[in-house]
Amino acid sequence: MAVDAQTYDKIEVGQEFTLEEATDSQRLVIWAAASGDFYQIHYDDNFAKNNKLPDIIVHGALKGMWVGKILDQIAGTDGWVKEWDVAYRSMDIAREPITVFAKVTGKREENGEKLVDFECGTRKTDGTVTTPGTGTVRLP
Amino acid sequence: MADEVMELTPEMKAAIGKSTDTTTYEVTSLGIRTFCRAVGYENPLYFDDEAASKAGHPAIIAPPGYLGMPVWAPGAARRQELFKSPFTRNLNGGTAVEPLEHVYAGDVLEAVTTLTNLDILPSKAYGQLMVRRSETIYTRKSDGKVVAKTRGTSLSY
Repeated sequence: MAVDAQTYDKIEVGQEFTLEEATDSQRLVIWAAASGDFYQIHYDDNFAKNNKLPDIIVHGALKGMWVGKILDQIAGTDGWVKEWDVAYRSMDIAREPITVFAKVTGKREENGEKLVDFECGTRKTDGTVTTPGTGTVRLP
Repeated sequence: MADEVMELTPEMKAAIGKSTDTTTYEVTSLGIRTFCRAVGYENPLYFDDEAASKAGHPAIIAPPGYLGMPVWAPGAARRQELFKSPFTRNLNGGTAVEPLEHVYAGDVLEAVTTLTNLDILPSKAYGQLMVRRSETIYTRKSDGKVVAKTRGTSLSY
């Protein structure tokens, strides 16, 4: 699943793009290998419970990189992700789907670049935003 | 959680503005593809050699935010500490990424992290929380270009 690449002229303020991401233990293990973050609270049920967690939890950095991915898909191969930031405000328990979102908050031209600003992040199925952030992409 | 109320020590205050030694990161095709698999990238420029070559790239591209892995060695410290912390548990507070150039499979990056701010704050959940803010600059070894900057917030309790 992916969102379509956008152009500066067509994208509209207020438009929101979303991706649904699975957070099963296998995926978290692949992320552990990809990132080198082998902290057991992300894949060892007993370790997580012994650390007063209800279950294994999703890596914050993986959520941050999902935000990077949705901005990259919006930018497409002719655009560029200028920057993004996220804050890891609260935990996401594994095995529950996460929605990654990027909502257009503004469009501007700066130094010859067509830039689009986003409010972005991840949210739970109940709508709680656990990883709020902002981002900027250059679009063709 | 530290037992006693902690304040920034002179050593901690002196560490603000200091930088770590250079850490070398390897960007390999396996590393990029594993990252793509974990995050769920479907753009062939990030995993297909032929697609990348046809589009004029020297190798598959690392998606934004993937900056390789530190070169691992047995017994090596995971990260260099600029001061002694009394807190033993760590949480990732947040990340910012500023991609500046394409990063390719085969690139070797040199990263230097600077501690930009340090605080010990009262916390309802943990009693006290140490908040470290840092910036890391990644430079490609082959051409000396700064390819990305990241900023991070680390929380310790």
